[in-house]
Amino acid sequence: MQHTRRQWMVQHEWMVKPMKQTEWIQGEGVLVWLSEVFSSLGTGLYLVSIFLNNWWGALIGYFIVVGIKLPLHFVYLGRPFRFWRALPPFTGAWRTSWIARGFFFTTLYAGFGLIQLITSYLILYPTGLDSSVVNTIFVVDITAKILAGITVVLTAIYCGFMMSFCKSVPFWNTGMLPIVIMNAGIADGLALMIGVGLYFGGVDVMMLEAVTRILLLVNILLIATYLLNATYGTDTAKLSAKELISGKNALPFWVGVAIAGIAIPLAVSLAPYFMGEVSHSVQIFAIVCHTAGAFALKYCILNVGYYKPLLYSEMRK
Amino acid sequence: MKWGMVIDLAKCMRCHGCVAACRIEHFLPFSIAWVKLIAYEVEDKNVVDVTTYAVRCNQCKEAPCIDVCPTEATHRRDDGIVDINSDLCIGCRYCVIACPYQNRTFLSKDKLVNYFPNHAKTRFEKMREKKYPHQIGTTEKCNFCAERIDEGLPKGLKPGQDRAATPACVNTCQARALTFGDLDDPNSEVSKLIVERKATQLHADYGTDPSVYYVDGKIGGKSNIAPEDARTGSHIKEFSSVEKRAKEIFSQSK
Repeated sequence: MQHTRRQWMVQHEWMVKPMKQTEWIQGEGVLVWLSEVFSSLGTGLYLVSIFLNNWWGALIGYFIVVGIKLPLHFVYLGRPFRFWRALPPFTGAWRTSWIARGFFFTTLYAGFGLIQLITSYLILYPTGLDSSVVNTIFVVDITAKILAGITVVLTAIYCGFMMSFCKSVPFWNTGMLPIVIMNAGIADGLALMIGVGLYFGGVDVMMLEAVTRILLLVNILLIATYLLNATYGTDTAKLSAKELISGKNALPFWVGVAIAGIAIPLAVSLAPYFMGEVSHSVQIFAIVCHTAGAFALKYCILNVGYYKPLLYSEMRK
Repeated sequence: MKWGMVIDLAKCMRCHGCVAACRIEHFLPFSIAWVKLIAYEVEDKNVVDVTTYAVRCNQCKEAPCIDVCPTEATHRRDDGIVDINSDLCIGCRYCVIACPYQNRTFLSKDKLVNYFPNHAKTRFEKMREKKYPHQIGTTEKCNFCAERIDEGLPKGLKPGQDRAATPACVNTCQARALTFGDLDDPNSEVSKLIVERKATQLHADYGTDPSVYYVDGKIGGKSNIAPEDARTGSHIKEFSSVEKRAKEIFSQSK
Protein backbone atom coordinates (compact mmCIF):
# COMPACT_ATOMS: atom_id res chain seq x y z
CA MET A 1 0.00 0.00 0.00
CA GLN A 2 1.34 3.43 -0.93
CA HIS A 3 1.34 6.36 1.45
CA THR A 4 1.67 9.99 0.73
CA ARG A 5 3.71 12.38 2.80
CA ARG A 6 1.96 15.44 1.55
CA GLN A 7 -1.46 16.94 2.12
CA TRP A 8 -3.36 17.79 -0.99
CA MET A 9 -6.63 19.49 -1.78
CA VAL A 10 -6.71 20.63 1.81
CA GLN A 11 -9.24 23.42 1.95
CA HIS A 12 -9.85 23.61 5.63
CA GLU A 13 -6.80 22.61 7.60
CA TRP A 14 -7.56 25.55 9.89
CA MET A 15 -10.17 23.51 11.70
CA VAL A 16 -7.70 20.94 13.01
CA LYS A 17 -5.82 23.35 15.23
CA PRO A 18 -6.89 26.24 17.50
CA MET A 19 -7.66 29.23 15.30
CA LYS A 20 -8.30 32.82 16.27
CA GLN A 21 -11.70 34.34 15.97
CA THR A 22 -11.41 37.24 13.57
CA GLU A 23 -14.99 38.43 13.15
CA TRP A 24 -14.87 40.62 16.23
CA ILE A 25 -11.33 41.99 16.06
CA GLN A 26 -10.00 42.05 12.50
CA GLY A 27 -11.18 44.17 9.58
CA GLU A 28 -14.63 45.50 10.38
CA GLY A 29 -14.35 43.62 13.67
CA VAL A 30 -12.27 46.52 15.01
CA LEU A 31 -15.61 48.34 15.33
CA VAL A 32 -16.82 45.70 17.80
CA TRP A 33 -13.67 46.14 19.85
CA LEU A 34 -14.08 49.93 19.90
CA SER A 35 -17.79 49.74 20.63
CA GLU A 36 -17.14 47.41 23.57
CA VAL A 37 -14.48 49.78 24.93
CA PHE A 38 -16.75 52.81 24.62
CA SER A 39 -19.58 50.82 26.15
CA SER A 40 -17.40 50.10 29.14
CA LEU A 41 -16.16 53.68 29.45
CA GLY A 42 -19.55 55.31 28.90
CA THR A 43 -21.60 53.07 31.16
CA GLY A 44 -18.96 53.26 33.90
CA LEU A 45 -18.84 57.05 33.76
CA TYR A 46 -22.64 57.41 33.66
CA LEU A 47 -23.12 55.03 36.57
CA VAL A 48 -20.56 56.82 38.74
CA SER A 49 -22.00 60.20 37.73
CA ILE A 50 -25.56 59.45 38.77
CA PHE A 51 -24.27 58.12 42.09
CA LEU A 52 -22.37 61.35 42.63
CA ASN A 53 -25.14 63.47 41.14
CA ASN A 54 -22.78 64.95 38.56
CA TRP A 55 -24.70 66.13 35.52
CA TRP A 56 -21.69 66.76 33.26
CA GLY A 57 -20.28 63.32 33.95
CA ALA A 58 -23.66 61.76 33.19
CA LEU A 59 -23.93 63.77 29.97
CA ILE A 60 -20.46 62.69 28.77
CA GLY A 61 -21.14 59.06 29.77
CA TYR A 62 -24.46 59.14 27.94
CA PHE A 63 -22.85 60.64 24.86
CA ILE A 64 -20.11 57.97 24.84
CA VAL A 65 -22.72 55.19 24.90
CA VAL A 66 -25.37 56.66 22.64
CA GLY A 67 -23.23 58.87 20.43
CA ILE A 68 -20.16 56.64 19.97
CA LYS A 69 -20.76 53.05 21.08
CA LEU A 70 -24.12 52.58 19.39
CA PRO A 71 -23.13 54.06 16.00
CA LEU A 72 -19.94 51.95 15.97
CA HIS A 73 -21.92 48.76 16.53
CA PHE A 74 -24.53 49.92 14.04
CA VAL A 75 -21.91 50.42 11.31
CA TYR A 76 -20.46 46.98 12.03
CA LEU A 77 -23.71 45.19 11.23
CA GLY A 78 -23.89 43.59 7.81
CA ARG A 79 -27.43 44.92 7.39
CA PRO A 80 -27.52 47.93 9.75
CA PHE A 81 -30.90 49.27 8.70
CA ARG A 82 -32.55 46.08 9.87
CA PHE A 83 -31.36 46.69 13.46
CA TRP A 84 -34.93 47.27 14.64
CA ARG A 85 -35.62 43.60 14.00
CA ALA A 86 -33.50 42.82 17.07
CA LEU A 87 -35.82 44.79 19.32
CA PRO A 88 -39.07 43.67 20.95
CA PRO A 89 -41.84 43.39 19.86
CA PHE A 90 -40.31 42.48 16.47
CA THR A 91 -38.43 39.56 17.99
CA GLY A 92 -38.61 37.34 21.03
CA ALA A 93 -34.90 36.56 20.76
CA TRP A 94 -34.10 38.52 23.92
CA ARG A 95 -35.19 35.41 25.82
CA THR A 96 -31.97 33.64 24.81
CA SER A 97 -29.72 36.02 22.89
CA TRP A 98 -27.35 38.28 24.81
CA ILE A 99 -26.80 40.52 21.82
CA ALA A 100 -30.58 41.03 21.49
CA ARG A 101 -30.72 41.79 25.21
CA GLY A 102 -27.84 44.21 24.74
CA PHE A 103 -29.63 46.08 21.95
CA PHE A 104 -32.77 46.18 24.09
CA PHE A 105 -31.00 47.38 27.26
CA THR A 106 -29.05 50.04 25.35
CA THR A 107 -32.19 51.32 23.65
CA LEU A 108 -34.00 51.54 26.99
CA TYR A 109 -30.99 53.27 28.50
CA ALA A 110 -30.93 55.76 25.63
CA GLY A 111 -34.53 56.70 26.48
CA PHE A 112 -34.33 56.75 30.28
CA GLY A 113 -30.90 58.39 30.24
CA LEU A 114 -32.15 61.21 28.04
CA ILE A 115 -35.14 61.85 30.33
CA GLN A 116 -32.84 61.82 33.36
CA LEU A 117 -30.43 64.27 31.77
CA ILE A 118 -33.26 66.68 30.88
CA THR A 119 -34.94 66.52 34.29
CA SER A 120 -31.64 66.79 36.17
CA TYR A 121 -30.72 69.81 34.05
CA LEU A 122 -34.04 71.48 34.86
CA ILE A 123 -33.45 70.86 38.57
CA LEU A 124 -29.87 72.11 38.42
CA TYR A 125 -30.71 75.18 36.36
CA PRO A 126 -34.30 76.13 37.30
CA THR A 127 -35.96 78.54 34.90
CA GLY A 128 -38.70 79.99 37.07
CA LEU A 129 -40.99 76.99 36.82
CA ASP A 130 -44.08 76.57 38.95
CA SER A 131 -43.43 74.66 42.23
CA SER A 132 -45.89 71.90 41.30
CA VAL A 133 -44.05 71.43 38.00
CA VAL A 134 -40.72 71.33 39.84
CA ASN A 135 -42.11 68.67 42.22
CA THR A 136 -43.23 66.59 39.23
CA ILE A 137 -39.79 67.01 37.65
CA PHE A 138 -38.21 65.76 40.90
CA VAL A 139 -40.34 62.63 40.84
CA VAL A 140 -39.64 62.03 37.16
CA ASP A 141 -35.93 62.64 37.74
CA ILE A 142 -35.65 60.09 40.54
CA THR A 143 -37.66 57.52 38.56
CA ALA A 144 -35.56 58.12 35.45
CA LYS A 145 -32.36 57.88 37.50
CA ILE A 146 -33.38 54.49 38.90
CA LEU A 147 -34.45 53.14 35.51
CA ALA A 148 -31.44 54.59 33.70
CA GLY A 149 -29.19 53.23 36.46
CA ILE A 150 -30.62 49.72 36.07
CA THR A 151 -30.46 49.75 32.27
CA VAL A 152 -26.94 51.18 32.23
CA VAL A 153 -25.75 48.34 34.50
CA LEU A 154 -27.41 45.85 32.16
CA THR A 155 -25.79 47.59 29.17
CA ALA A 156 -22.44 47.35 30.93
CA ILE A 157 -22.68 43.64 31.66
CA TYR A 158 -24.17 42.33 28.44
CA CYS A 159 -20.87 42.47 26.50
CA GLY A 160 -19.27 40.12 29.02
CA PHE A 161 -22.17 37.68 28.96
CA MET A 162 -22.34 37.86 25.17
CA MET A 163 -18.78 36.56 25.03
CA SER A 164 -18.97 34.14 27.93
CA PHE A 165 -21.91 32.36 26.27
CA CYS A 166 -19.68 31.10 23.43
CA LYS A 167 -18.63 27.51 24.02
CA SER A 168 -16.62 27.71 20.83
CA VAL A 169 -14.08 30.03 22.50
CA PRO A 170 -13.04 28.39 25.78
CA PHE A 171 -11.10 31.44 26.99
CA TRP A 172 -14.31 33.46 27.01
CA ASN A 173 -16.59 30.66 28.11
CA THR A 174 -16.33 31.39 31.83
CA GLY A 175 -18.47 33.18 34.37
CA MET A 176 -15.44 35.25 35.38
CA LEU A 177 -15.42 37.27 32.16
CA PRO A 178 -18.54 39.41 32.78
CA ILE A 179 -17.23 40.22 36.28
CA VAL A 180 -13.80 41.21 34.95
CA ILE A 181 -15.39 43.43 32.30
CA MET A 182 -17.91 44.99 34.69
CA ASN A 183 -15.31 45.78 37.34
CA ALA A 184 -12.90 47.21 34.78
CA GLY A 185 -15.76 49.32 33.37
CA ILE A 186 -16.57 50.87 36.75
CA ALA A 187 -12.88 51.57 37.38
CA ASP A 188 -12.64 53.19 33.92
CA GLY A 189 -15.73 55.27 34.71
CA LEU A 190 -14.21 56.44 37.98
CA ALA A 191 -11.01 57.44 36.21
CA LEU A 192 -12.97 59.49 33.69
CA MET A 193 -15.00 60.96 36.57
CA ILE A 194 -11.78 62.23 38.13
CA GLY A 195 -11.11 63.99 34.83
CA VAL A 196 -14.62 65.47 34.83
CA GLY A 197 -14.08 66.58 38.45
CA LEU A 198 -10.78 68.23 37.61
CA TYR A 199 -12.35 70.15 34.71
CA PHE A 200 -15.80 71.03 36.01
CA GLY A 201 -15.21 70.80 39.77
CA GLY A 202 -17.85 69.76 42.29
CA VAL A 203 -16.35 66.30 42.76
CA ASP A 204 -14.36 64.95 45.69
CA VAL A 205 -11.33 63.78 43.69
CA MET A 206 -9.61 62.32 46.77
CA MET A 207 -12.60 60.12 47.50
CA LEU A 208 -12.74 58.99 43.88
CA GLU A 209 -9.06 58.11 43.94
CA ALA A 210 -9.58 56.05 47.07
CA VAL A 211 -12.37 54.07 45.40
CA THR A 212 -10.32 53.72 42.19
CA ARG A 213 -7.47 52.31 44.26
CA ILE A 214 -9.71 49.59 45.65
CA LEU A 215 -11.17 48.78 42.24
CA LEU A 216 -7.72 48.60 40.65
CA LEU A 217 -6.61 46.15 43.32
CA VAL A 218 -9.76 44.10 42.73
CA ASN A 219 -8.98 44.34 39.00
CA ILE A 220 -5.53 42.83 39.52
CA LEU A 221 -7.05 40.02 41.54
CA LEU A 222 -9.81 39.35 39.01
CA ILE A 223 -7.55 39.42 35.93
CA ALA A 224 -4.98 37.18 37.64
CA THR A 225 -7.69 34.72 38.70
CA TYR A 226 -9.21 34.80 35.23
CA LEU A 227 -5.89 33.98 33.58
CA LEU A 228 -4.99 31.35 36.17
CA ASN A 229 -8.41 29.79 35.73
CA ALA A 230 -7.87 29.65 31.96
CA THR A 231 -4.63 27.72 32.40
CA TYR A 232 -6.54 25.07 34.36
CA GLY A 233 -9.11 24.73 31.60
CA THR A 234 -8.91 23.26 28.13
CA ASP A 235 -5.76 23.30 26.01
CA THR A 236 -7.30 26.06 23.90
CA ALA A 237 -8.01 28.30 26.90
CA LYS A 238 -4.49 27.63 28.13
CA LEU A 239 -3.14 28.68 24.74
CA SER A 240 -5.07 31.96 24.95
CA ALA A 241 -3.74 32.69 28.44
CA LYS A 242 -0.19 31.81 27.38
CA GLU A 243 -0.43 34.11 24.40
CA LEU A 244 -1.37 36.97 26.70
CA ILE A 245 1.35 36.31 29.23
CA SER A 246 4.27 35.41 27.01
CA GLY A 247 3.08 35.20 23.41
CA LYS A 248 2.22 37.58 20.59
CA ASN A 249 -0.16 39.60 22.76
CA ALA A 250 2.22 39.97 25.70
CA LEU A 251 3.13 43.52 24.68
CA PRO A 252 -0.42 44.95 24.69
CA PHE A 253 -1.16 42.95 27.83
CA TRP A 254 1.86 43.91 29.93
CA VAL A 255 2.34 47.44 28.60
CA GLY A 256 -1.30 48.30 27.92
CA VAL A 257 -3.26 46.45 30.59
CA ALA A 258 -0.75 45.85 33.39
CA ILE A 259 1.42 48.98 33.27
CA ALA A 260 -0.75 51.69 31.64
CA GLY A 261 -4.13 50.42 32.78
CA ILE A 262 -3.32 49.34 36.32
CA ALA A 263 0.22 50.08 37.61
CA ILE A 264 0.44 53.77 36.64
CA PRO A 265 -3.08 54.77 37.84
CA LEU A 266 -2.51 52.78 41.03
CA ALA A 267 0.85 54.44 41.65
CA VAL A 268 -0.65 57.90 41.05
CA SER A 269 -3.57 57.18 43.38
CA LEU A 270 -1.12 55.99 46.07
CA ALA A 271 1.29 58.90 45.55
CA PRO A 272 -0.45 61.31 47.99
CA TYR A 273 0.43 58.93 50.85
CA PHE A 274 4.13 59.28 50.14
CA MET A 275 4.66 62.52 48.24
CA GLY A 276 1.78 64.76 49.19
CA GLU A 277 -0.73 66.05 46.64
CA VAL A 278 0.03 65.26 42.99
CA SER A 279 -0.31 67.84 40.25
CA HIS A 280 -3.25 67.92 37.84
CA SER A 281 -1.03 67.06 34.89
CA VAL A 282 0.08 63.84 36.62
CA GLN A 283 -3.54 63.00 37.41
CA ILE A 284 -4.53 63.61 33.79
CA PHE A 285 -1.63 61.42 32.66
CA ALA A 286 -2.96 58.66 34.95
CA ILE A 287 -6.47 59.04 33.47
CA VAL A 288 -5.10 58.79 29.92
CA CYS A 289 -3.12 55.68 30.91
CA HIS A 290 -6.18 54.15 32.58
CA THR A 291 -8.27 54.77 29.46
CA ALA A 292 -5.55 53.29 27.24
CA GLY A 293 -5.65 50.27 29.55
CA ALA A 294 -9.38 49.91 28.88
CA PHE A 295 -8.68 49.74 25.14
CA ALA A 296 -5.85 47.27 25.69
CA LEU A 297 -7.87 44.96 27.97
CA LYS A 298 -10.69 44.51 25.45
CA TYR A 299 -8.21 44.17 22.60
CA CYS A 300 -6.33 41.45 24.44
CA ILE A 301 -9.45 39.48 25.40
CA LEU A 302 -10.89 39.65 21.88
CA ASN A 303 -7.60 38.99 20.13
CA VAL A 304 -6.73 35.80 22.01
CA GLY A 305 -10.18 34.28 21.46
CA TYR A 306 -9.20 30.93 20.00
CA TYR A 307 -11.77 28.49 18.66
CA LYS A 308 -11.57 25.00 20.04
CA PRO A 309 -10.51 22.82 17.10
CA LEU A 310 -12.86 20.18 15.78
CA LEU A 311 -10.47 17.27 15.72
CA TYR A 312 -7.82 18.39 18.17
CA SER A 313 -8.81 16.17 21.07
CA GLU A 314 -9.04 13.10 18.86
CA MET A 315 -5.66 13.83 17.33
CA ARG A 316 -4.01 13.98 20.73
CA LYS A 317 -5.28 10.56 21.73
CA MET B 1 -39.85 13.75 11.15
CA LYS B 2 -36.27 14.82 11.85
CA TRP B 3 -33.80 14.78 9.01
CA GLY B 4 -30.32 13.54 9.69
CA MET B 5 -27.18 12.38 7.95
CA VAL B 6 -24.68 9.62 8.55
CA ILE B 7 -21.17 10.02 7.15
CA ASP B 8 -19.04 6.93 6.74
CA LEU B 9 -15.53 8.28 7.07
CA ALA B 10 -13.91 5.07 5.95
CA LYS B 11 -15.70 5.23 2.62
CA CYS B 12 -14.87 8.86 1.86
CA MET B 13 -12.33 9.11 -0.95
CA ARG B 14 -11.70 12.87 -0.68
CA CYS B 15 -13.03 13.35 -4.20
CA HIS B 16 -14.61 16.68 -3.17
CA GLY B 17 -17.70 15.74 -5.15
CA CYS B 18 -19.92 16.82 -2.24
CA VAL B 19 -18.20 20.20 -2.10
CA ALA B 20 -18.70 20.71 -5.83
CA ALA B 21 -22.30 19.50 -5.79
CA CYS B 22 -23.16 21.89 -2.96
CA ARG B 23 -21.48 24.75 -4.81
CA ILE B 24 -23.53 24.08 -7.92
CA GLU B 25 -26.79 23.46 -6.08
CA HIS B 26 -26.63 26.69 -4.10
CA PHE B 27 -24.66 28.79 -6.58
CA LEU B 28 -22.07 29.42 -3.91
CA PRO B 29 -19.59 32.24 -4.37
CA PHE B 30 -15.99 31.19 -4.90
CA SER B 31 -14.80 31.87 -1.37
CA ILE B 32 -17.61 30.08 0.43
CA ALA B 33 -18.09 26.36 1.02
CA TRP B 34 -21.01 25.02 3.01
CA VAL B 35 -19.54 21.53 2.94
CA LYS B 36 -15.94 21.17 3.96
CA LEU B 37 -13.42 18.35 3.89
CA ILE B 38 -10.77 18.44 6.52
CA ALA B 39 -7.77 16.36 5.54
CA TYR B 40 -4.56 15.92 7.45
CA GLU B 41 -1.64 13.59 7.71
CA VAL B 42 -1.15 11.12 10.49
CA GLU B 43 2.28 9.62 10.92
CA ASP B 44 2.89 6.41 12.77
CA LYS B 45 6.24 4.66 12.72
CA ASN B 46 7.28 6.47 9.55
CA VAL B 47 4.07 5.45 7.85
CA VAL B 48 1.98 8.43 6.87
CA ASP B 49 -1.71 8.25 6.18
CA VAL B 50 -4.15 10.96 5.26
CA THR B 51 -7.40 11.11 7.10
CA THR B 52 -10.47 12.98 5.91
CA TYR B 53 -13.32 14.39 7.94
CA ALA B 54 -16.30 15.74 6.04
CA VAL B 55 -18.07 18.55 7.90
CA ARG B 56 -21.12 20.64 7.26
CA CYS B 57 -23.72 22.33 9.48
CA ASN B 58 -24.68 19.71 12.05
CA GLN B 59 -28.31 20.92 12.25
CA CYS B 60 -27.97 20.68 16.03
CA LYS B 61 -31.05 19.94 18.05
CA GLU B 62 -29.70 22.29 20.76
CA ALA B 63 -28.19 24.80 18.34
CA PRO B 64 -26.24 27.70 19.91
CA CYS B 65 -26.71 29.69 16.70
CA ILE B 66 -30.47 29.73 17.27
CA ASP B 67 -30.03 30.85 20.86
CA VAL B 68 -27.74 33.74 19.99
CA CYS B 69 -29.52 35.06 16.89
CA PRO B 70 -30.96 38.47 17.87
CA THR B 71 -33.65 38.51 15.20
CA GLU B 72 -34.72 34.85 15.10
CA ALA B 73 -33.42 34.76 11.52
CA THR B 74 -31.83 31.44 12.42
CA HIS B 75 -34.62 29.09 13.32
CA ARG B 76 -35.37 25.39 13.56
CA ARG B 77 -37.95 24.03 11.15
CA ASP B 78 -40.40 21.35 12.21
CA ASP B 79 -38.28 18.78 10.38
CA GLY B 80 -35.23 19.65 12.51
CA ILE B 81 -33.36 21.61 9.85
CA VAL B 82 -31.71 24.75 11.20
CA ASP B 83 -32.41 27.35 8.55
CA ILE B 84 -31.60 31.02 8.07
CA ASN B 85 -34.08 33.61 6.87
CA SER B 86 -31.68 35.96 5.10
CA ASP B 87 -34.31 38.70 5.04
CA LEU B 88 -34.24 38.85 8.83
CA CYS B 89 -30.48 38.55 9.35
CA ILE B 90 -28.82 41.80 10.48
CA GLY B 91 -25.27 40.49 10.06
CA CYS B 92 -24.10 40.75 13.67
CA ARG B 93 -21.97 37.61 13.19
CA TYR B 94 -22.72 36.38 16.72
CA CYS B 95 -23.76 33.00 15.29
CA VAL B 96 -20.46 32.70 13.41
CA ILE B 97 -18.59 33.09 16.68
CA ALA B 98 -20.97 30.98 18.76
CA CYS B 99 -21.05 27.93 16.44
CA PRO B 100 -18.63 25.48 18.06
CA TYR B 101 -18.23 23.70 14.72
CA GLN B 102 -17.44 26.86 12.77
CA ASN B 103 -19.85 25.93 10.01
CA ARG B 104 -21.22 29.38 9.35
CA THR B 105 -19.87 32.01 7.01
CA PHE B 106 -20.53 35.70 6.91
CA LEU B 107 -20.96 36.84 3.33
CA SER B 108 -19.05 40.09 3.12
CA LYS B 109 -18.63 42.14 -0.08
CA ASP B 110 -15.14 40.80 -0.67
CA LYS B 111 -16.42 37.22 -0.65
CA LEU B 112 -18.88 37.85 -3.46
CA VAL B 113 -16.29 38.61 -6.10
CA ASN B 114 -16.38 37.27 -9.63
CA TYR B 115 -14.97 33.82 -10.28
CA PHE B 116 -12.60 35.48 -12.73
CA PRO B 117 -11.59 38.90 -11.38
CA ASN B 118 -11.56 41.74 -13.92
CA HIS B 119 -13.66 39.63 -16.28
CA ALA B 120 -17.38 39.49 -16.91
CA LYS B 121 -19.53 37.24 -14.77
CA THR B 122 -19.79 33.65 -15.88
CA ARG B 123 -23.13 32.16 -16.91
CA PHE B 124 -23.20 30.39 -13.57
CA GLU B 125 -22.75 33.65 -11.68
CA LYS B 126 -25.42 35.39 -13.71
CA MET B 127 -27.81 32.57 -12.94
CA ARG B 128 -27.00 32.84 -9.24
CA GLU B 129 -28.51 36.31 -9.18
CA LYS B 130 -31.77 34.96 -10.54
CA LYS B 131 -32.06 31.55 -8.93
CA TYR B 132 -30.23 31.76 -5.61
CA PRO B 133 -29.41 35.35 -4.72
CA HIS B 134 -27.00 35.51 -1.81
CA GLN B 135 -27.45 38.56 0.38
CA ILE B 136 -24.26 40.43 1.20
CA GLY B 137 -24.06 41.24 4.90
CA THR B 138 -25.80 38.09 6.09
CA THR B 139 -24.70 34.69 7.35
CA GLU B 140 -24.95 31.43 5.42
CA LYS B 141 -24.60 27.72 6.03
CA CYS B 142 -25.69 24.27 4.86
CA ASN B 143 -29.44 23.71 5.08
CA PHE B 144 -29.55 20.01 4.11
CA CYS B 145 -30.87 21.22 0.73
CA ALA B 146 -34.15 22.14 2.39
CA GLU B 147 -35.49 23.52 -0.91
CA ARG B 148 -35.10 20.08 -2.56
CA ILE B 149 -36.86 18.43 0.38
CA ASP B 150 -39.68 20.98 0.31
CA GLU B 151 -40.11 20.48 -3.41
CA GLY B 152 -39.99 16.71 -3.22
CA LEU B 153 -42.24 15.95 -0.27
CA PRO B 154 -45.51 17.25 -1.81
CA LYS B 155 -44.76 15.07 -4.83
CA GLY B 156 -44.65 12.04 -2.56
CA LEU B 157 -40.88 11.68 -2.84
CA LYS B 158 -38.86 10.35 0.08
CA PRO B 159 -35.75 12.32 0.99
CA GLY B 160 -32.81 9.98 1.25
CA GLN B 161 -34.35 7.53 -1.19
CA ASP B 162 -35.59 9.60 -4.10
CA ARG B 163 -32.78 11.59 -5.61
CA ALA B 164 -34.94 14.61 -6.44
CA ALA B 165 -35.71 15.14 -2.75
CA THR B 166 -32.27 14.23 -1.41
CA PRO B 167 -29.45 16.68 -0.60
CA ALA B 168 -27.13 17.26 -3.56
CA CYS B 169 -24.03 16.10 -1.67
CA VAL B 170 -25.64 12.74 -0.85
CA ASN B 171 -26.69 12.23 -4.48
CA THR B 172 -23.22 13.01 -5.70
CA CYS B 173 -21.15 10.93 -3.29
CA GLN B 174 -19.60 8.27 -5.49
CA ALA B 175 -18.33 6.27 -2.57
CA ARG B 176 -21.77 6.23 -0.95
CA ALA B 177 -20.24 7.62 2.21
CA LEU B 178 -23.25 9.84 2.87
CA THR B 179 -26.65 8.56 3.94
CA PHE B 180 -29.65 10.80 4.51
CA GLY B 181 -32.99 10.06 6.09
CA ASP B 182 -35.46 10.43 8.93
CA LEU B 183 -33.93 10.10 12.39
CA ASP B 184 -37.38 9.65 13.93
CA ASP B 185 -38.06 6.57 11.81
CA PRO B 186 -36.35 3.57 13.45
CA ASN B 187 -36.49 1.69 10.13
CA SER B 188 -34.78 4.40 8.09
CA GLU B 189 -31.30 3.67 6.81
CA VAL B 190 -29.79 6.44 8.91
CA SER B 191 -31.38 5.16 12.13
CA LYS B 192 -30.18 1.65 11.39
CA LEU B 193 -26.65 2.83 10.63
CA ILE B 194 -26.54 4.84 13.85
CA VAL B 195 -27.53 1.79 15.91
CA GLU B 196 -25.67 -0.94 14.01
CA ARG B 197 -22.46 0.97 13.32
CA LYS B 198 -22.48 2.80 16.65
CA ALA B 199 -22.40 6.21 14.99
CA THR B 200 -21.02 9.15 16.94
CA GLN B 201 -21.66 12.87 16.88
CA LEU B 202 -18.92 15.42 16.44
CA HIS B 203 -18.06 16.86 19.86
CA ALA B 204 -21.05 15.46 21.69
CA ASP B 205 -19.46 17.10 24.76
CA TYR B 206 -20.80 20.47 23.59
CA GLY B 207 -24.32 19.28 24.35
CA THR B 208 -25.58 20.47 20.97
CA ASP B 209 -26.94 17.08 19.87
CA PRO B 210 -26.00 17.25 16.17
CA SER B 211 -28.13 15.58 13.49
CA VAL B 212 -25.01 14.61 11.55
CA TYR B 213 -23.46 11.34 12.68
CA TYR B 214 -20.15 9.71 11.84
CA VAL B 215 -19.23 6.07 11.57
CA ASP B 216 -15.72 4.63 11.60
CA GLY B 217 -14.49 7.95 12.82
CA LYS B 218 -11.47 6.94 14.84
CA ILE B 219 -9.49 9.88 13.64
CA GLY B 220 -5.79 9.32 13.58
CA GLY B 221 -6.12 5.60 14.04
CA LYS B 222 -5.27 3.05 11.42
CA SER B 223 -8.86 1.87 11.43
CA ASN B 224 -9.77 4.95 9.44
CA ILE B 225 -7.89 3.83 6.36
CA ALA B 226 -10.50 3.46 3.68
CA PRO B 227 -11.33 -0.07 2.55
CA GLU B 228 -9.95 -1.29 -0.77
CA ASP B 229 -13.10 -0.61 -2.76
CA ALA B 230 -13.36 2.97 -1.47
CA ARG B 231 -9.73 3.62 -2.43
CA THR B 232 -10.03 2.10 -5.87
CA GLY B 233 -13.58 3.13 -6.54
CA SER B 234 -14.41 -0.44 -7.54
CA HIS B 235 -17.71 -0.28 -5.68
CA ILE B 236 -18.94 2.70 -7.63
CA LYS B 237 -21.90 1.81 -9.76
CA GLU B 238 -23.00 5.29 -10.69
CA PHE B 239 -20.64 8.07 -11.59
CA SER B 240 -20.83 11.53 -10.11
CA SER B 241 -24.06 13.35 -10.73
CA VAL B 242 -22.37 16.74 -10.52
CA GLU B 243 -22.11 17.09 -14.28
CA LYS B 244 -25.66 15.80 -14.75
CA ARG B 245 -27.02 18.27 -12.20
CA ALA B 246 -25.07 21.15 -13.72
CA LYS B 247 -26.52 20.37 -17.13
CA GLU B 248 -29.97 20.17 -15.57
CA ILE B 249 -29.61 23.60 -13.98
CA PHE B 250 -28.25 25.21 -17.14
CA SER B 251 -30.99 23.67 -19.25
CA GLN B 252 -33.57 25.35 -16.97
CA SER B 253 -32.14 28.76 -17.80
CA LYS B 254 -32.78 28.45 -21.51
